[in-house]
Amino acid sequence: MKVKYNIDIVASSPLRVIKRRVSRAMPDSGKMKKPDVKLVILGDMNVGKTSLLHRYMERKFKETISTIGGAFFLKQWGPYTISIWDTAGREQFHGLGSMYCRGASAVILTYDVTNWQSLAELEERFLSLTDTAKDDCIFAIVGNKADLTDPKVLEVEPEEEGTGQPPVCSPPTVSPIVRKQVQREEAIALYGRILRYKLQDERSSLPAERMCFETSAKTATMWTCCSRHCLTWSFPPS
Amino acid sequence: MSVKAFELVPAVERELLMGDKARINIECIECCGKHLYVGTNDCFIHHFLLEEHTTPKGKLVFSAQKVLHKYLGLKKPVNELKAASALERLMVLCDNTVIVVDMVNLEAVSSGGAKIKGVVAFCVNENPVNGDPFCVEMGVICAKRRTVQIYMVYEDRVQMVKEVSTPEQPCAVCLDGYFLCLALSSQYMILNYSTGASQDLFPYDSEEKKPIVKRIGREEFLLAAPGGLGMFATAAGVSQRAPVNWSESVIGAAVSFPYVVALDEGFVTVHSMLDQQLKQTLSFRDGHILQDFEGKVMLASTKAVYVLVPRPLERQIQDLLAGHRVEEALTLAEGAQRNIPKDKFQIMHRRILQQAGFIQFGQLQFLEAKEHFRKGQLDVRELISLYPLLLPSSSSFTRCHPPLHEFADLNHLAQGDQEKVQRCKLFLISYLREARSTEGANGCREDVDTALLKLYAEANHESLLDLLASDNACLLADSAPWLEKHHKYFALGLLYHYNGQDDAALQLWVRVVDGDLQDSTRSDLYEYVVDFLSFCSSLDLVWKYAEWALQKEQKVGVQIFTRRAVSDEQEAQMSPDAVIKRLHKYHQATVLYLEHLVLGRRVQKEAFHTHLAVLYLEKVLSLLSQSPAPAQQVTEAREKLQNLLKESSLYRVQLLLDKLQDTDLLLECATLHGKLEEHDKALHILVHRLKDFPAAEDYCAWASASRDQGYRQRLFHLLLGVYLGPDAPGNEHTVAAVDLLNRHAVMFDPAHVLRLLPEGWSLQLLRPFLCGALRGATHARHTSQVALGLARSENLLLKHDRLKYRGGPVLVSEKKGCQLCHNTFTEPDCVCLPGGVPVHTHCAAQRVRDSPRKRQSTNPSNHT
Repeated sequence: MKVKYNIDIVASSPLRVIKRRVSRAMPDSGKMKKPDVKLVILGDMNVGKTSLLHRYMERKFKETISTIGGAFFLKQWGPYTISIWDTAGREQFHGLGSMYCRGASAVILTYDVTNWQSLAELEERFLSLTDTAKDDCIFAIVGNKADLTDPKVLEVEPEEEGTGQPPVCSPPTVSPIVRKQVQREEAIALYGRILRYKLQDERSSLPAERMCFETSAKTATMWTCCSRHCLTWSFPPS
Repeated sequence: MSVKAFELVPAVERELLMGDKARINIECIECCGKHLYVGTNDCFIHHFLLEEHTTPKGKLVFSAQKVLHKYLGLKKPVNELKAASALERLMVLCDNTVIVVDMVNLEAVSSGGAKIKGVVAFCVNENPVNGDPFCVEMGVICAKRRTVQIYMVYEDRVQMVKEVSTPEQPCAVCLDGYFLCLALSSQYMILNYSTGASQDLFPYDSEEKKPIVKRIGREEFLLAAPGGLGMFATAAGVSQRAPVNWSESVIGAAVSFPYVVALDEGFVTVHSMLDQQLKQTLSFRDGHILQDFEGKVMLASTKAVYVLVPRPLERQIQDLLAGHRVEEALTLAEGAQRNIPKDKFQIMHRRILQQAGFIQFGQLQFLEAKEHFRKGQLDVRELISLYPLLLPSSSSFTRCHPPLHEFADLNHLAQGDQEKVQRCKLFLISYLREARSTEGANGCREDVDTALLKLYAEANHESLLDLLASDNACLLADSAPWLEKHHKYFALGLLYHYNGQDDAALQLWVRVVDGDLQDSTRSDLYEYVVDFLSFCSSLDLVWKYAEWALQKEQKVGVQIFTRRAVSDEQEAQMSPDAVIKRLHKYHQATVLYLEHLVLGRRVQKEAFHTHLAVLYLEKVLSLLSQSPAPAQQVTEAREKLQNLLKESSLYRVQLLLDKLQDTDLLLECATLHGKLEEHDKALHILVHRLKDFPAAEDYCAWASASRDQGYRQRLFHLLLGVYLGPDAPGNEHTVAAVDLLNRHAVMFDPAHVLRLLPEGWSLQLLRPFLCGALRGATHARHTSQVALGLARSENLLLKHDRLKYRGGPVLVSEKKGCQLCHNTFTEPDCVCLPGGVPVHTHCAAQRVRDSPRKRQSTNPSNHT
């Protein structure tokens, strides 16, 4: 059975994905049936992959420690069992990434909006891991930690940096608000490059506007250019 | 707190193996059933028999007995041992050569073919593709050629069946079916030796750290990964379980479902494959080898051999539960499902779920607890019994043994915290309610319902009454004291009623109504009792408590009788006569009951009507006798009386008339006279004594209501006569008479009236009457003329029809003769006999006269 599905971002209540509730994170065990679909979250270390997943599974933000190796969760989406893999971002575990991605139907590439390098790493380091994913794998690019930036500052200040070189370390401030280092347009551009890399037709793929957005696992709010969005995953019956 | 999943038990002590020779080290071990083989660095193979004993304390111990030891004569360490028990062969890797020796005597198999040279490592396929049970498949890494060879090992020979090359030099191998899982120098890979297809897994520097390749199940392997991880990988190159986190210095790994055991320099670590968490750490120094053999995990230092004995699953689960680690316990139990027989698992799983539920219950996590109780099919009473005094004393229930929880009772659980107690009670209420609606309460409905009743009563819960009013199994003996204690007397009454003890119920309620007992459940309890009695089927009870109810309030009390549904079987005892007899003390109640009979049920019985009329009359009279008489009440009372007198025709008129003789109730008198058809008397009273002319006219209309027009006319004429009568003084009634005539012109015969009227009345005065009368007469004439005309035309039509049906004309002429006398006709008159035969009239008459039966058989008619 081949399950066709798509990631759909629908303008409704923020982060509906996160709202879906599970009684508990189900660890793998003998009783679990084999998952139908695999979804992998990739991204540099410390961008908040595990936190995003916690927000999704348990609707809360908690302090996490650096993921070792990887972790995964099973979730029931209607008749389908979905396995969601949280990967370790540390360089040390990089080699395992392609194994996690093997046969994946969806990949969420995560970066830290306050850290330009984390976006660059997606392309340099993580994109190649997805070679083992399915050919029609779909991609979403998610910028995390949007709560650490000040959206008001952004509006008045059309930033120029971030197009190429990583910017110089921001001046030490007392405020936790730091300047946003990654513009959403860059993520959208990256999305286009990913499609080309995967030889997917841009016109038939899901539009970048819907597959790239910024969020915060901590505050569970969405900052996107157009409106509050959410991820919904829809599975047309195969 | 961790789980104690394994216990480290020594198997072969150092003394037994090598005595005091310090330089001898264990290189490899193999265990097959009771046979333990140990390979040493001085090229010896030692064979032990390992016996398992259980000490009186329940601990498992091993005793090893040395059977044999054999020197291979190569002065090199024995690198690897693998037993093939079906062949009774032991494969030995020593000095890069695999030799096959006999399992029993350790002698090399004689023929020269049983030897493979240039071997780095080898493995046995535990999932062989060859169906031959007397053949072992073996994967062999060759020393130099970057190849892996597949051999079939038979009793006396080995045979290579396949050789595959690898991109790099392999250093560890594992075989499952056609899949070779290989550790190469820089990565792991899967190689299908049948198809040649390969699948890279992940990079790993085998030169830096010793790789681990371990088959853990069908087409699934466990591999040492960078960063001290234990990675799971399937033959398809996919990871289906999250990795376990070992230390960087991991030496060996073994699997004992559901655990992964790993050995490093100082410790043995136990991770669960179910949730990848570290479950147990055992300190173990100088660890050298960790392997599992047919499910038995063995551990060896360089000098001694140990067994890691898994503790029984149930004990582990109980440990987890004791530590309140509910989720882990359940995960462990469910994960181990496939290793336990189904029925045994179900019993165990249910018990664990119940225990888990109680743990969560103790933590006041009611939602989760409820879910676990439900899944674990908990006997509801187990929960009820936690609450003191809730189970009926007659209940046969005893708590499960061993206990499912550590609580003595609710107070113990709540430690005196009343808020907690309350929350627990609320939970039990909701739980029991659900249990009632499902099969959960099967077999113990009495206990459940009684407990629920007690909880409701205690909590002053509104559903108490619903419970008692609906189908329930509450135990009366146990509930009654409880309800009394909480002053739920109304509810207790309901319970009595439900148990068929209406008398007790009523007794209780009466005491509440009378204020002897306090229960504010129903402020209208008195009305409720009356209503209850009106439906009560026991007439004895009705009589017993009717008295009380009537004394309390007649108007309400009488509803016991008025609301009662009429049924035949009760009619005998609860007959209206009997009721009235009982009620006679209670005047108001009697009136109401009679009203119910006469006006409501329309009972046509003289006695009731007369009785009611007399009572009405008495009431009026008593009111009138007061001074001043309360006008409003008098009017009402009289209206009732008048209505009854007018409407009913069953009462005894004469009796009432006698009673009315000396009173001022003239209108009533008139009505009574009317009933006696004494209209002149009635009208006389109305006109002359009451002088109430509209009443007189109404009387005429009323008295003639069900009679014909003539009767009515007579009455009106009578009234006119009274107006104009001789005893009318002067012209007092002239106006009334004129009004009467003018208003009811149609009721009078004008001719008769005109004769009656005095001469002196002006025409103008009577103009409306006369006009009306004239118009009426004219109208009547016209109408009758029309009617006449219509009748005539109808007659004509009928005649025409008749002729039409008679057939053709009857011809009469002078030449035709009469059939009877045979003379000719001289006149047109004739009589037709049946068949249209004309005869003379006189002949026909003659014939009729002569006929013996004197019956007229012909139908004479005239024709012209």
